Amino acid sequence: MKEKIDNLKNKGGFLGWIFNLPYIAYSLIFFLIPLIWAIWLSTTDWNLMSNDKNFVGLDNFIRLFDDPRIIAAFINSFRYLLPIVILTFIGGLIIGLLVHKLPDKIKGVTAVLFFIPYLTSGVAVSVVVRYFFSYNSALNVLLRGKGIAIEWFSNPKTSFAIIVAIVVWKMSGYYALFILSALESISDEIHDACKIDGAFGMNKFIHVTLPMIIPTLTTVVVLLSGLAFGLFTEPYLLTGGGPNLVTTTWQLEIYNTSFTNFQSGYGAAIAIASAVQIFITIKIVTHVMGKLNHKYGV
Amino acid sequence: MKKKINIKGLLVIVATFILLGISLFPYYYMMIQSLTPWKQVDKVIVPGSFTLKSYNYLLGSGASAGMWIKSLINSFLVSLPTAIISVVVGLLVGYSVTKMRNFKGGKFIMNTLLFQMFFPLIILLVPRYMIVKPLINTYAGMILPLSVSAWGIFMYINYIKTLPNEIFEAARIDGASELKILSKIIFPATKSVTTIVFLSTFMARWSELMWDMLISPKVDMQTLNVLISTQFKPMGNVPGPMYAASVILTIPIIIMFLCFSKHFKEGINFMLK
Repeated sequence: MKEKIDNLKNKGGFLGWIFNLPYIAYSLIFFLIPLIWAIWLSTTDWNLMSNDKNFVGLDNFIRLFDDPRIIAAFINSFRYLLPIVILTFIGGLIIGLLVHKLPDKIKGVTAVLFFIPYLTSGVAVSVVVRYFFSYNSALNVLLRGKGIAIEWFSNPKTSFAIIVAIVVWKMSGYYALFILSALESISDEIHDACKIDGAFGMNKFIHVTLPMIIPTLTTVVVLLSGLAFGLFTEPYLLTGGGPNLVTTTWQLEIYNTSFTNFQSGYGAAIAIASAVQIFITIKIVTHVMGKLNHKYGV
Repeated sequence: MKKKINIKGLLVIVATFILLGISLFPYYYMMIQSLTPWKQVDKVIVPGSFTLKSYNYLLGSGASAGMWIKSLINSFLVSLPTAIISVVVGLLVGYSVTKMRNFKGGKFIMNTLLFQMFFPLIILLVPRYMIVKPLINTYAGMILPLSVSAWGIFMYINYIKTLPNEIFEAARIDGASELKILSKIIFPATKSVTTIVFLSTFMARWSELMWDMLISPKVDMQTLNVLISTQFKPMGNVPGPMYAASVILTIPIIIMFLCFSKHFKEGINFMLK
């Protein structure tokens, strides 16, 4: 018997499961059990503290459709998605192209420098932004001197724009790396062929370069879409979701509902609803990008 | 012809500098304001003189210095184990799934991983909080739920998969135990993946807000990231130290990445493939 076990051990079958034990344990405790619990929780009206949890069936889910905060989060997810994806995409593309064309010696350093915003905590950025735009800051004094008075965080348009700008600033350098890698992988033969065929500049970019990097662009767009749904820190610290729910996000609403307002049953339902929306949206985005890839890709 | 190329090259460099300036301006602003006399903070972009008053407030003789220093330590105490656990689990799972003979669980683990990677974690927030509630205000409660990165494991699997089997066969014939193979062969061979997984999980954990806000309401357990967020409004009239705190929050991550940038770049290149 011992021999058999020894053989097993040596052949890696049993040991393999031992190696996976930490991961399996983790998945059980922090993934599977919470998942089941969340589904059950979404059908109750529990408030995180009391002992009575009443089964309310699908009431929480029905409530979603009339809740102005949820409707706001839903609409905002698209309002955020579009500018974030488009602007970060363009930003990443421009940075990627620029770095691609830099002399080799400074390429690496520059790419890293553009990458740095990605490393910054949303809290640190929020600190800088909050005070930079504060009433008596240098910027506002300057603007008021020219007759421009902007209430940055009370104005729905500017507060939304600021959050979008922060995300674009943070992520452009990161996605530029993806695009840079794709650009660098276009072989010299292609470049030579373009020279021979007389394709250069804008023409070459649109008809040769872009199609060749569409798979990478697809990855970037899909990842950005996921990112837009995860916004929390900046709205939480800078606007609290306002003014008038204009900047709120799913994550912010779920957090507030579950932990600030102690309606964790409802909060769980909101979370599930948001997950469904993310799933559908990403499916659509992937589908559209797939079609583009098919039509224009190489 | 040569002159034409130079102008284009020059334009590229100028454009790059402009964009870099915009990208890095917030850091310049953050650092400058952290060293600006309190009366001038946010009122000038270039201060008349420099002062360490903000840093002193946080780290030196200020009454609340202990709080800030503790929070910095907490950030390390939470992020470091998280990164280490992610790497270790990644190595263990990565090796067993790809290279261990007779391990039959490969497909199951892969499917679980993929599911976890694309699953919206927000759904799990409240239940996780309930499960970890007995560990509230402890390092274990802060570390464990976020300690394993499915993405990290995925990276290890993809990388180790590309290592040639011959090395392992040879090692096994020589009588090496699986653990020895892990430490003497796999670990050195996966340096670039380890770098990127370590740095990424460290950074993500360091910058985490939501979970830490929930699991560490006690001030002396809070990470620097959380502490800054809670002092955000109260310190609204004294922004100098807030800038200093942000600098202290940001610098370790940047230093880490710059130190390991070579390995990190290799890791990124692999990841993009």
